[in-house]
This record gives sequence, C-alpha cells and structure tokens, in this order.
Amino acid sequence: MEWMITANEPGKTYLMQGNEAISRGALEAGIRFAAAYPGSPSSEILTMLGHVADEMEIYAEWSTNETCALEACLGASFAGIRSLCVMKQNGLLVVGDALHSASLSGVKGGLVLVVADDPSAHSSTNEFDSRHQSRSAAVPMLEPANMQEAKEMVKWGFELSEQLQQLVMVRTVTRINHGRSSVILGEIPREKQVPKVIGEWDRMVAINWFKALQVAKVDQAQTIFEESPFNWYAGPETPDMMIVTCGTGWLYSVEAVEALGVKDSVGILKIGTTWPLPEKFIVNHLARTRKVLVVEEVDPFLEQNIANIIAYHPELNIELTGRHGQKVIPRNGELNPDVVRNALANMTGTTFQGPEVMLIPFEEAVPLPPRELTFCAGCPHRASFFLLKQTLRIQEGQGVVMGDIGCYTMGGQRAGHFLYNFLCCMGAGISAAEGLGQLTRFGFKQPVIALAGDSTFFHSCMPALVNAKYHDSNMLFVILDNSATAMTGFQPHPGIGLTAMGKTTEPISIQKVVEAIGCPVTVADPFDIAGTTEIVYQLLKQPGLKVLILKQECATLAVRKRKKAKVWVEQDLCRGDECGCGRFCSRVWGCPGNIWDYEAGKAKIDEVVCVGCGVCVSLCPAGAIKIEGGEACE
Amino acid sequence: MSGGMELKNEVLASSTCALCGACLDWCPYIANIEDHLVFRFDCNVSDGRCYSVCPRTFTDWEAISEKYLPDIPQDLAIGPHLKAYKVKAAQGIQGQQDGGTVSYLAKTILEYELAETILLTGADDHVTPEPFLSSEVDDIQKAAGSRFLASPGMRKIIAAQSNNVQKLAVVGRPCQIQALRKLDYNSPPQKPKMEVISIGLFCMWSLGWAFRDYLQKEFPGEEILRLAIPRHGFEVTTDKGVHELPIDIVKKFSKAGCNYCLDMTSELADISVGAFEPQEGWNTVIIRTPKGQELFNQALARGYLISEEYPEDELNRLKGAALGKKTRNLKHVQTAFDKGVKPFIDLNSAYYVQLKELAEGMVK
Amino acid sequence: MSKELVKDPLNIIISGVGGQGNILATELLASALVEKGYFTTVGETYGASQRGGSVMSHVRISATTEYGVLIPLQQADIIVSFEPTDTLRVARDYANKSTLIITDSRPNYPLGVLIGEAQYPPVEAIEAELKKLSGQVQIIEATKLAVEAGNSQATNILLMGALTALPSVPIDIDDYERILEQRFSGQILEMNRKVLKIGYEQVK
Repeated sequence: MEWMITANEPGKTYLMQGNEAISRGALEAGIRFAAAYPGSPSSEILTMLGHVADEMEIYAEWSTNETCALEACLGASFAGIRSLCVMKQNGLLVVGDALHSASLSGVKGGLVLVVADDPSAHSSTNEFDSRHQSRSAAVPMLEPANMQEAKEMVKWGFELSEQLQQLVMVRTVTRINHGRSSVILGEIPREKQVPKVIGEWDRMVAINWFKALQVAKVDQAQTIFEESPFNWYAGPETPDMMIVTCGTGWLYSVEAVEALGVKDSVGILKIGTTWPLPEKFIVNHLARTRKVLVVEEVDPFLEQNIANIIAYHPELNIELTGRHGQKVIPRNGELNPDVVRNALANMTGTTFQGPEVMLIPFEEAVPLPPRELTFCAGCPHRASFFLLKQTLRIQEGQGVVMGDIGCYTMGGQRAGHFLYNFLCCMGAGISAAEGLGQLTRFGFKQPVIALAGDSTFFHSCMPALVNAKYHDSNMLFVILDNSATAMTGFQPHPGIGLTAMGKTTEPISIQKVVEAIGCPVTVADPFDIAGTTEIVYQLLKQPGLKVLILKQECATLAVRKRKKAKVWVEQDLCRGDECGCGRFCSRVWGCPGNIWDYEAGKAKIDEVVCVGCGVCVSLCPAGAIKIEGGEACE
Repeated sequence: MSGGMELKNEVLASSTCALCGACLDWCPYIANIEDHLVFRFDCNVSDGRCYSVCPRTFTDWEAISEKYLPDIPQDLAIGPHLKAYKVKAAQGIQGQQDGGTVSYLAKTILEYELAETILLTGADDHVTPEPFLSSEVDDIQKAAGSRFLASPGMRKIIAAQSNNVQKLAVVGRPCQIQALRKLDYNSPPQKPKMEVISIGLFCMWSLGWAFRDYLQKEFPGEEILRLAIPRHGFEVTTDKGVHELPIDIVKKFSKAGCNYCLDMTSELADISVGAFEPQEGWNTVIIRTPKGQELFNQALARGYLISEEYPEDELNRLKGAALGKKTRNLKHVQTAFDKGVKPFIDLNSAYYVQLKELAEGMVK
Repeated sequence: MSKELVKDPLNIIISGVGGQGNILATELLASALVEKGYFTTVGETYGASQRGGSVMSHVRISATTEYGVLIPLQQADIIVSFEPTDTLRVARDYANKSTLIITDSRPNYPLGVLIGEAQYPPVEAIEAELKKLSGQVQIIEATKLAVEAGNSQATNILLMGALTALPSVPIDIDDYERILEQRFSGQILEMNRKVLKIGYEQVK
C-alpha cells in the first residue's frame, strides 16, 4: 500500500509488494528524482512515487520513453542528486546506447536503474534476460532474492553508485515486483539533497578516454562485492553438491532441499551481486564440492560466468549443470518450486514424497473452455479492429497489417479478428510499413497499414513518421488514440495533460504533431463503424502516406467519468440463431457485455459488464438492441 | 441445406456474382462497398435466405417461368412475351435515356396505384448509382438516365418488407428481376407475400466502379453529365463537351459476373424496356404479362407514351443480338461448370439444351 | 481463543477472473497474517488479466521461515475461488486429497463460450470432479449473497469471510475486520463488514 512507502515507522514490519519495497528503498536512500516509462511488472514504482512526490518533496516523471527517462536521470545525477530510473526488460534494450554511453561517462549523484524482467512473459511479448546488458555495459548489478532485499539493494545501490561514480543496475523479476512479503522499514532521511553547482570544468562526458576507468570501476565493484552481505553460503562444510543461485532461485532452492531432506549433503551458495561476480568468494566456496547446480531466472548468465571462473581456476574440479545443458532445468520458462525440486531430486538421486493426489483420467475429466484475452467491454479497439478487418475484406486487396505494442496488441488474436501480419517492438509497425510501402515501385499491390496507440506514438513513432512522410511511402498509418497508456495501468502520457505527480499540464496534440510533419490527417470515431469503414476504404484508394487517427476514449476510463447508458435486447426482436443473425453480437462482435442466453435462445446484455458505448446497437441486424439514457461517448 | 458459407464458396469465390444485391441488408455478414460484395465475417447458418434468392445458385428457371409467366409464348432469344412496341415519352423528362419510357411507366404505376412504392436507381453525380425506394412521383426524375455502373439495388427489398409495403414496383437489370422472382418463389409459405410489378431493363453487361476512377483520370476536372451507348461506341457527355470511348476499352471494365448471364432483355419481368437502336430518342418495349400489358395500356391512355408498330427487321436484329450475348456467355458458363462451379441452371432443361445446340450450330 | 497454525507452511490459493477483486482481498488477508506475526508471502500473476484472463494469488504462511511466492503443484491446502471453471483448473494443478475447496458457483463466460465455439460445463459436473480431487468442497453462492446484501462487487470480501471461518487458517474474523478498519471507512467499511460476516456464516 502506498502509505507504507512513506510511513515514518522505522523497524515496523509490513506486508509489502516488491515494487512498494523498491519505492521505499529509494526513498530511504533519499532520492529526489525518479523517471520511468510504464512497463509491466515495474509500473507501480513510478506511479507510487508520483503520488507521494509532493509529500516527499521529490520529482517523479513519466517520461515519453525509457531513453528520455534514463537521460533525465543522468541530468539530475550531474547535479549530485540521487536518481531512480525504472523500466521493464524491453525498455533496457531501448536505452542501449544511453546505457553504454552513461557507463563510460560515469555518474555523480547516485543513479540506480531498476530493470524488471518477465520470465515466461506473463505480461510481455517475450522473455528476456536483462543481466547481459550489465556485463555488456560494464555496470554492476544486484539481484534481490526477496522483497526485503529489493528494498535493501536499491537503498545500498545508491551508496555503491556514488562510491564508484557509476550507474548501478538492480534486476528484478515479476515474482519479486508483484509478489508480497514481510519487509522491515528503515529510516527516511529528513534532510533533503540540494542540487550542487556544476562548475565550468565539471564534466560528465562519454568519450573513449574513460574506457580504462570504466573497466577499473568493474574491478573496484568486484572487490567490494567480495565482502557483500548479499552473498552467503549455508550448508555443510563439504557438501556432495552445491546449488549456486541468485534472485528467486534462492527460496525455491531452500524449499527444495527441505522437501527432499538433503540438508546434510547439499549446500546453497546465494549470490546477490550477480555482476561482476565476487570471484575469490566464489572460488573459496566452489572448492568445497565437486557438483554444482546453478538455479537462476531466464538465461544461464550466472552459470556461464561461473563456468568462466572455473575455466580460469584449473584447480577446481567441478561438474557444472544449469539451464545451459538443459539436463535437469529447462532452458526456457520461469522457475518454480517444482522445477527446482525436480532438478535437485534428479541430481541427488532422491524422490519427493508428496501428499496423496487423485489422478483423473482424461476421458473422465470435465472439458473446460479456455479463458482467452479480449478487449474490455466498450473498448474502442474492439471497434477499430472490427472495422479495419471488415474494410480490408470488403476492399478485396489483401491488405497487410503491421501491429505494435499496447492493449491493441491483442488485436492480433481472436479479440481483434487476427488482424495483424507483423509484430515486433514499440514503434516498429510504422517503419516496417514504410519499408513495405516502398515496394509499390516493384509491383507490390497490396495495401499496407500500420497501427500504433497514442502512448506508443509519442514513445517511438515520431521519427518513424518523419521517415515515412519524407520518403512518401504508400501506406496508411492508423493511430489508435484512446487517451490512455491502458495496458500498463493508465499512466499518463504527453497526450493526456496530466503528470505523474498529478499536475495538469498542456497536452500535446497528436493531430498537430502529425500535421506539423506535413501529413494529411483524418480524424474519425471508431464507434461509428459504418462511417469509419467508408473513410478507411476511401483512404486506401489514395497513394502515398495517409494518417488516420481513430479517436475514442478507453472504456475503463470513460465509465468512471460518465453516467452509464442502459442497454438491453428486445427479446421478441432478437433473431438469435436464425438466418439474418447467427448470434452476431456475442459470436462475432464479441464484447463481454453481449452474452448469449442459452435457455431463452436469445441475446442478452450483461449489465454489470456493459459500459453503455452503444456500438452493438448499430450492429444488430434486427435493431433489437436498444439504448437509453446516459451521457453520450464523444 | 445451403447458407452463407455455400454462397461464399460457390458464388463469390467463383466470381459468378452478378451484383444484383438481393442477398444484402438482411444479415450482418454480407457487406458491400461500391462494387465489392463479400462476407465480412463468416456466418454459421446452414439454411440461408441469401442462397435461396441468389440468381447464381441452382434454379429451376422453367418452373419460375411457368409460375410467373404462365402460358406466355416462349422465345429462345428474347424470352416469353406477348408483343413488342416502338415507344417514346410524349413529353420529355430531364436526363432521360433514349425515349424516357421507363420514367413514364414508373409515373403510371404510382398514379394508377399498381404499386405504392417503387424501387429506382438514381445518381447524384450522373455516374454513381444509388438505389432508393419512393412513393413520390416527383422522385422519378432522380432515376432518369441509365446506370452503367453495377448497382446492387435489390437490397432495397429488405427495406420495402420492413416498411410493410404491400405492392412494390421494381425497375431492374435481368439478374435483379431473376432474383425478384426467386425471392417470391422460395419465400416461406407463412411469410406475408408482397405483390410485385417489374420493369426489366435490357443489359449486355454492367461496369465495375473502377470505370468511374478511369473517367476521372481520362477527363480530369470535367463534370460528367451523361453516359450512353449509341450504336457507334461509348459516349461521355461532360460540361466540356462530348467524348467518345471505344467500346472495347469500356468493356474491359465490365464485371466478371456478367460473363455468366444468359438473359439480355429481362425475360422474367412484366414489361421490359431497352434502347431502340435504329432511331435516337425511342425505346423498345416488350410486354410479357397481362399485368405488363395493363400498365402499358394505362400509360398510353394517360397520354404519357406514344407507341408504334415494332419493325420486323429490327425485331430480328434484336433477337440476333440477344442470342449473340447468350451464345458468347454460354462458353464462359460451360467453362465454369466444367471447372467445378455449381450450375445455376438445370443442364438438362430444354432452354439450356437448345442454347447449347444453337451455339454449337453457330460454330459450325 | 486465537487459532494456531497447525500446518506449516499453510498454502492458500485465491483465484478469480480479472476484475473480481481477488488481489485486494488477498492483500488484506496477508496483511492480517503479518500483523499476527506470521511469515507470509503472496505471489500473483496479473497485467493482462484485466482483459478477461485468470488471476491466481498464492499465499504461503509459516510461523518459522520465509517461503518463495509460488506454491508447489498439488500442495495447496485451501483453494478459494470466485469462478467454477477456474476452481477446477486450479484444483487440477494444485489440489491433493486433503485440500479444502470453497468456490462461488456463478459462471463468468470466457470469450470462446460467448461466441458459441466452446461449451460451458454444468456446475454439477465441476463439483463432482472437485470432490474427487480434494478432501472437501463447499459451494457458496457468493455473488448472489453479495448482491442481496447490496453490492455485487463485494463478493471478494464475502469469500474472505468464509476463509476466516476455517479452523486451519490462523486468523479470526475480527483480525480481518481490523484490517478492514485500517483501510476503509464509512459506508464501504460497513458493507465490507456486513459481507465478511455473511461469508463467515456460510462456513460456520
């Protein structure tokens, strides 16, 4: 809970979410600056800091993209201010150049970069290991194993950062960010940092002159890590087998050892300073054993660095196993207590005695319908995808659609009638369309369409739009403007007019930006399906770059603001299964508000779920869906 | 049991669709913009109205002819008919095509209450067809002039039915009149019937809407006032003058579905109207049913139309032209059926057999 | 008399469809447990769940040590679920012969069912299989009761009331009420208290 992160109760224990613990840790370190771009599972951190910003006298910003966020933190750090930068795994790749360059220039005020990975991609399009970047960018990296460590590492990270004059990365995973556990609060300093004067000859420059220094900082970090309280060994003096683990792997390993009863033969070496590895410390402990199992999330990063250490120390005689060989732990996917226990059982030749379980043969099991993702009731994306799909079919030109990242990514699945042909990363859709749209000169005849949301537009589409306009690619760029960064939890973006700290500010008009670049722009309402279909159809006839803004507010936001209209199905008008309908509203339109009453054999509106947008009213072939009252959706 | 998916896979996928429009506006699956007609989403209904009204799904044309034109003398070239006349409007009507006959027949229908609503096709820009229903005589002028772009006008039947129209008049192409008869023929017995009177138009082919874009490119900045096919080619009258396009260029824009049509003169209508080739400003009128005769007589009685004996040699020429279209298209039809397209006509019917023999005879 | 933790660790799964409020309810439960001095960890999956996917919370309670946030397969001691098909899905993975299951009976139709491409099974069939998989199954018409009490959105707190009535859960209804008092006030607090009691009564 938010009040926990500012509570003046040092020593008190609270149940805290990992993200809350991280926010608390940053405040306990006395930060005055925080910048981030929303990305699951990290979004809550800046949201909370934004809410408490006034109270804690800090500055918190939802930057337009991760590069702006990291670079803004560099600016604040230059004046000696402790800055926190937060992003998800993909964001770290977005800041690649900035990260590597900043590592070369070093920092002044402590700068901690919290990166949240998403093993098994629960809320991402991909599973990615951010730790490689710390090695590549020569940035020391800490990996918390629980929520308390998340707080402590972020807090200490600032000290380390200032000691080394270098960025420090803290790598978390979904189970830490979104998990909850007991955390003991520390003290929040009362004295607030004041920006230092930047002298004429003070420098923070990323030039190769500092390469040797950059490398030396890694060595310095390694020396510090040799004594770190975040690394420890627990187990027998000379174990038959040692588990070397970091992050969430630690608690799973402890539970696995307990469950198999192998405490006397298996030791656990827990590493919290995952890069650079405390080599001496590790060699000392590895010397006790012959067999090592490395347990970590996503890639065999720790494992292969341990392998390096073993290679450089021929006196060690170790059989090393981990994700790399895929012998006992799968190469892909999140860790869980069963995966780790099974791996340990395999390596120790033991079996687990679990509780009594009933196994139901497949033929006897009740068949369960899968639960798929769909757009919320009243979502403008449902309307946008419906009308785009139908227009492309009517137009009979086999249009190609490039998607992008946001709530509307789901448009590539059933909820959006499988509209996409192409999906990459944020801002990729429009440029991929630009390239394809240049092939008209070689005989490519199919219409090319790119989609992007409003937040995505600001994040990475602007240079791409300049590129497309400047080279006059034959394509239609559709901006799905629902006035929200919805997928990650409705954080504000530059088109909204609200900051992370709750201040109102001048929103930036997407339409004006597009016009300023010189593109012909059409604005349409996706809820007017028939009208907008006609508009898209006509736009596809024209050559060159066209921009269409589909503007309609996100339903989840709209329903909070307005009185809901009442929508119902006139039962005697409903055609249901018959020719002329075939359950069109629930089966094809697919809004969760449109449900099928199996007993009555008619369509119905789920009043709890329906937000009163009225689009289904316009789609019913019998005019059976009625709407009354409420305030109209603009 | 045939429904939407069968219509999609048999008719739309084979490009035999005539764009008559009879399948439109009842259900939310079939969609149309300009001359595109597609299933925008797949339907799951196994017994569909669309399939039953479509002139390109299997039809017992003989039975239909029997029912709606009983005991009318048959003709292989121009279908069952009572008599042909050379006709023109006594007074002109703005925008009229040839003799302006259809406009005045329409006027008669409404005034004489042969129908309370009439299905017509207008075009605000003189090119883009817009079908509409009207009960007002004043609206008829909007529909004066031929529409060369294919228009799915039969969609308006749904609107007529939902407005509880009791007696409807339809002006349509041969495929549309076919659909009109099929609709009544396949209508479920418990459904209230709508009385119809039909004016069928002569038709060689209809054009795709790409022709409109072509005209805009050929004559940029000019406002098109009239399109016509006098004997010597395709005439485009604009505010800048009269242009002529070779008929072969225009034919390239004809809809694929028109290649499968075996009816030039709307053989199932009550009365059919087309150009009178030898003389500008006159129409050919073919009376097929007593209802058609009654309509014609009324129009004459009110002084709206002037009629003359139909010259024998022109009748022969007309029949030759009609047979020409049929035998030409028969080749396309046969090829399609050989390739596996589901026949929309009984291959053993007297009509089909006779046509085939005639075509083979002509080759020899 | 205060309840003791007998099974250590005690593993509870609370599961529902996104938007049903199980995350909040779980957090309140875990906070109550932490206040009583137990090591409590909660693991959750959400992010895309608002848009119709399932949300599962794993709660692990111990008097002696901290556990990782995920419950191992077949080791849930209690399953509380808001939606019957989700209950079965969770039970298949996490239930054993001693597991106690409490579930609401109100279906939440997934997209496949709404469009007629998948069937929603009868609740009786679900109950039958649940009984085979576990030790005890109790069906509570939580949504119906919550609606009758005056708030359809309070199903989550109602089910928490039922949970606190179980002897194996080391908190009492007043422990949960205390947390409610810390977080809510006015009418919302009154409503939550009311449905908490209703849920409690269903099991007692």
